[in-house]
Amino acid sequence: MLSGLNSHLPAEIGKRCQMHKKFLRSYESLEAIYEFTEKILASRDVAQSVRFPVHFAMEELFTNMVKYNPDNSNDILLDVETDDNGITVSLTDFDVDAFDVTTSREVDINAPLEQRKVGGLGLHLIQKMVDTLKYEYSDRQSTVTFTKASGQDHVSD
Amino acid sequence: MFQIDFGRDGEIVCSGRLDAAQCEKAQSFLDSVDGMRVVDFSKLEYISSAGLGVLLKTQKRLSENGYKLKIINVNNHIHDVFRYSGFHVIFEIEATQR
Repeated sequence: MLSGLNSHLPAEIGKRCQMHKKFLRSYESLEAIYEFTEKILASRDVAQSVRFPVHFAMEELFTNMVKYNPDNSNDILLDVETDDNGITVSLTDFDVDAFDVTTSREVDINAPLEQRKVGGLGLHLIQKMVDTLKYEYSDRQSTVTFTKASGQDHVSD
Repeated sequence: MFQIDFGRDGEIVCSGRLDAAQCEKAQSFLDSVDGMRVVDFSKLEYISSAGLGVLLKTQKRLSENGYKLKIINVNNHIHDVFRYSGFHVIFEIEATQR
């Protein structure tokens, strides 16, 4: 298992907790990302119904960064923050071209099997599952930030 | 940790987390199956869009010979991922019994 780089211990101020860590640009980092995030979510007693979409969005955004810039040697920075209102997650990719993940994705979810193509669902699903999704690009640095409210769930119970 | 194997009655049993790093393992297993198949998700906690791609590719291959996958014991969160993806249209899906 690959471990993240430049790990920082939780910074807890009042009821706010923040952790950040850099991860190698590889699908093999997904387990370490899950463990890193789960640790902070579990410590804050975040409901499973909220954890699932957080892990989902995090993986989709991270794997997108890996997929579209496979030769980039920079690690990807992950920042997770929790407070009474919910969870805020940012992923930052360095020295990359712009790729706005917030633009709407045309997906025909009613298409029959023979017309379906593998791929292209990830960003569509993120937009369904998180509360806010923001994209910033400056100095060849891409940052995607999403939020998910505590106790609020787009996924049915 | 993701695992995929045959159950006692020939069903396909998945467990753990099916993320992008585990798709090669899942696809390799599913490429070897044929006929009508039941896939038991009772121990599968999580699936990403990459995992959906594995299921879709398998369903398309099986459908060429008139076969398909039926997915059973799907937890609420994965069921919603299926619903948002329209997979409930192209797969027979049974949610976890409550």
